[in-house]
Amino acid sequence: MRMDIVRLDRLRRRPFDGQAVKRLVEAGLTWLKTNQQIVNSLNVFPVPDGDTGTNMTLTMTSAWNEIKDSGEKHAGRMAAMVAKGALMGARGNSGVILSQLWRGFARGIQDSEVIDAASLVKGFMDARDTAYKGVVKPVEGTILTVSKDTATAAEATLAETQDPIEILAKCVSAADASVVRTPDLLPVLKQAGVVDSGGKGLFFILEGMLRHIYGESLDAPISSVQPLSSMNFESAMQEIEEGQDYEVVVDFFPDSQFKLQKFYGKLEEMGTSIQVGEGEGMYRMHIHVPLDKRYEPIDYIMGIGTITKVAMENLTAQMDEIDSKTKSSKLELATIEPGQIAVVAVSPGPGLSRIFASLGVAAIVGGGQTMNPSTKDILDAFENLPTDKVIILPNNKNIILAANQAKDVTVKSVQVVPSKTVPQGLAAMLSLNPDGELDSVADKMIKAMSAVRTGEITIATRSVEIDGVKVKEGQVIALLDGKLIVSSGSVEEGVMAFLEKVKAEEYELITFFYGEDLSHAEANRVADVVRKKYPSHEIEVQEGGQPHYQFIISVE
Amino acid sequence: MKLGIVTDSTSDLPQYLIEQHEIEVVPTILILEGKEYADGQGISREEFYARLPDFKTAPSTAAPSIGEFSERYEKLLSNGCDHIISIHAAGALTAILNVARQAAVGFPGRITTIDSLSLSMGIGFQVLAAAEAAENGLKAALVAVESARSRLNVFAALDTLDYLRRSGRVPAAVTMLGSALSIKPLIEVADSQIKAIGAVRTTRQANERMMSFLKSSGKLERLAILHTGAEARAREFLRQVMDEISQSVPREIMMLNVTTVIGTHAGPNGLGFAAVRSE
Repeated sequence: MRMDIVRLDRLRRRPFDGQAVKRLVEAGLTWLKTNQQIVNSLNVFPVPDGDTGTNMTLTMTSAWNEIKDSGEKHAGRMAAMVAKGALMGARGNSGVILSQLWRGFARGIQDSEVIDAASLVKGFMDARDTAYKGVVKPVEGTILTVSKDTATAAEATLAETQDPIEILAKCVSAADASVVRTPDLLPVLKQAGVVDSGGKGLFFILEGMLRHIYGESLDAPISSVQPLSSMNFESAMQEIEEGQDYEVVVDFFPDSQFKLQKFYGKLEEMGTSIQVGEGEGMYRMHIHVPLDKRYEPIDYIMGIGTITKVAMENLTAQMDEIDSKTKSSKLELATIEPGQIAVVAVSPGPGLSRIFASLGVAAIVGGGQTMNPSTKDILDAFENLPTDKVIILPNNKNIILAANQAKDVTVKSVQVVPSKTVPQGLAAMLSLNPDGELDSVADKMIKAMSAVRTGEITIATRSVEIDGVKVKEGQVIALLDGKLIVSSGSVEEGVMAFLEKVKAEEYELITFFYGEDLSHAEANRVADVVRKKYPSHEIEVQEGGQPHYQFIISVE
Repeated sequence: MKLGIVTDSTSDLPQYLIEQHEIEVVPTILILEGKEYADGQGISREEFYARLPDFKTAPSTAAPSIGEFSERYEKLLSNGCDHIISIHAAGALTAILNVARQAAVGFPGRITTIDSLSLSMGIGFQVLAAAEAAENGLKAALVAVESARSRLNVFAALDTLDYLRRSGRVPAAVTMLGSALSIKPLIEVADSQIKAIGAVRTTRQANERMMSFLKSSGKLERLAILHTGAEARAREFLRQVMDEISQSVPREIMMLNVTTVIGTHAGPNGLGFAAVRSE
C-alpha cells in the first residue's frame, strides 16, 4: 500500500474519537462491499447460497446505518452504537461472529472518549474473547482464528509503539497472514482449495480502515478479477442506489492494451455495483448505470476489445418483479394464546411456508436473497406475539447463530431447536405441543429431528473436489444431511444416486419438495421414476418454491 | 348382595371374559349403507375394516334404545340381582350413557350408572374391576372401578387423519394438524376427551412413539393391545413388548380388534393400547 505521508501526519494530530471511529467503520464497510464477491467466491461448498461476503456486508451496513447520522464524539459510545447495529443486522454465521467481535471491541473501549494504543489493543483482545465465548464449539481456521492472531499481533506491537495507526497496520498484516494459514488449520478448506471466507471478510474490513488512513481508494478491488462462476448479480439487487436505472452486462475479449485498473477507473465514472469476472480469456463486466449513460459501457468496451454479448435490463422493472414474487399469498399462521408456545420457522420458499403454517407455526421468517435472515428479522417475528414462550427453527445451519443471538437479546423465554435443514424443521413441528412446557417440548423436537434424513439437489457453482467427490461447475450435485455425496448429469440421476447413498430401501416415506427452478410436471415425472424403483414406499410430492435447490428431500 | 354388571359393546370385552363374569353387554348400532346392524352382527370386525375405505357413504353409529337397556336391567333384576352397576363409554363422547341413565329411571335405587370417561378397553378394564370385586358388595365394586379409572392409560396411533376429520366428532385441535403433509395422528383418550398428543409421518415412527408411551406408563396391572383391522401390526407390537418390557407387563395381555363403532371414526390400520398401571 502506498502511504500518503502528509495525510498520515495530519491524521495523527487529530483525536481518535467517535467521529474517527465512524469514518473507519464506513471505510471498512466500503472496502468489504467492493470485495464482497471475492469473499463470496470462497464458499467451500459449490452451492448457490450462504454467501459470506454478502452476509458480512449486510451486517456492516446495518452497523453503519445505526451511526451514519450520529455526531457522537465519545469513541466508546460510538463503538457501542456500531455493535448494536451489527447485532441487529447480523446475518449468517460469519455475520453473527462479526457482530460479536464488535460487541467485544465496544466493551473493551467503552470508557475511552479517545482511543489510544492501549485501549485499541484492549479492544482487539476483548473482541477476540467475546467472539470465542459466543461459539459453543470454536473451530480453528476460521474468522475466530484471524481475530485471535490479530489480537496477538496488536498486543505484541504495543511493546514497540504507542501509535494506534502502526498497531492497526500490524494487525492488517497479521490478519492477512492468518487468512493464508487457514487451510492448514481446517482440512476442508485445503480440499476445496480456498482460504476461509469469514476470515477473509474480516481482513477486508481491517484493510479498508487502513486504506482509508493511507488515502487509498476504496471503490475498486485491487486484486485480480473474480472467477466468472462466482459472479452473483442477484445480490447486487439487494441495494440498488438511487439514480441507477439500468443493469448492463457485457461479455468481451479485451485487446492487448487492456489494463484492469484503468478499466475499473473508467467504469467508476459511469456507474456503480461494478463487477468484473474472467473465465478462459473472456471477461464479463456488470454495472448499474443511470438512464442517460446506459450505452456508455458498451461504447467504451467496443473501443478496447471484441464484444461477444450484451445484456441490458431495466432495473425498476426487475425490482417490481422481485417484489411481486416475494409478496406471498396470505398465510394462515397459528393463533397463539398467552402462555402457549409459539414457533418461529425460517422458510426458504412460499410452498414450504404454507406447509409450516399448516403444521402450527406462529410466524415465518423469509431468508432474503442470501437465504439468511438477520438477528432483527428473527426478533421482529416473535416480539409482538402475545406469548413469552418461543421456539425458533432456523432450518439452515448458517442461521443457527443468528437465532441464538435473537434468543440472547430478547426478554422472552426462547429455545432454539437447531434444525439444519427444512426436513428436520418439519419433523420437529410434528412434536409440538403448544400447551406443553417449553424445555421439554424443545427436547422432544430435537429428538424428532434426528429421525429424518435430508437430501438437497442443486447445481454446482464451481468445480471442486470435496470428500472424494469430483464436481464440475454446472453439474447436478446431491447433499446428504449437509454433506456433498455425489455429482451427476441430471436432476433425475442425482435424485436416484442420493436415494441409493441414503439406503432409501431401509425407510418408508420419501417426500420431495420441489423448488422454483423445477416445474410441477418435471417434479412429478422424477417422483414417478422413484416410485418404479421403490414400489413399496410412500412417495409424496409437495411444492416448496425454494430458490437454488431443485429438490429438498426428506427420507424417513 | 348379588351385583349385576352391565356395559355396552364399545367396551370391547372379549367373549370369554363376558361369559366368565356373566356381564351383560348392550350392543351399539352400526349404520352401514343405509342398514342398521347391532355391533358385532351382520359384519365381522375384520371384514368391516377391510371394506372401510371403500364404503360409498361413511358408516355412522347410534346408541342403543332405552328399551334395550330396560330389558337387560329387568332381566338381571328378576334373575336374582339386588343391584346393577352399568358402566359405559364417556358421556361427553357418545349418547350411550345418557340413554342408560334414562332407562335406569325406571328402576329407582337399583341401578348405579357410571361414566367410564374412556373408550374401548378403557371401559372394559373398569368393568372387569367391578366384576372381580362384585362378590364383596356394591361399595367394594365402586371403589375398584374408581381405582382402575384413576390408573388408566389409553393411547392410539391412527394411520390417517381422514376418518377423524370426516366423523366431525373430534375437537378442532386434532384435525388442525398438518393438512398439507400426510400425517399420522397420535391421540390419548383421557377424562372423556380425545387429545391430540402429536403426529408422525411413518408407521415405524408411530410404533416407536407407542412403545415409548407404553414404557413411560411403568409397571402395568392390565394391558390390552388394540387395533383396527391391523392384526399383523398388533402382533409385531406385542412381540416387541415381550422383547423389551416383559417384566413390566401382566402375564395376560389381550389383543383385539376394536369395535366397529369406534373404528369407523378412527379408520383402519390403527394401533393402540389400554393399560391399567399397577398401584
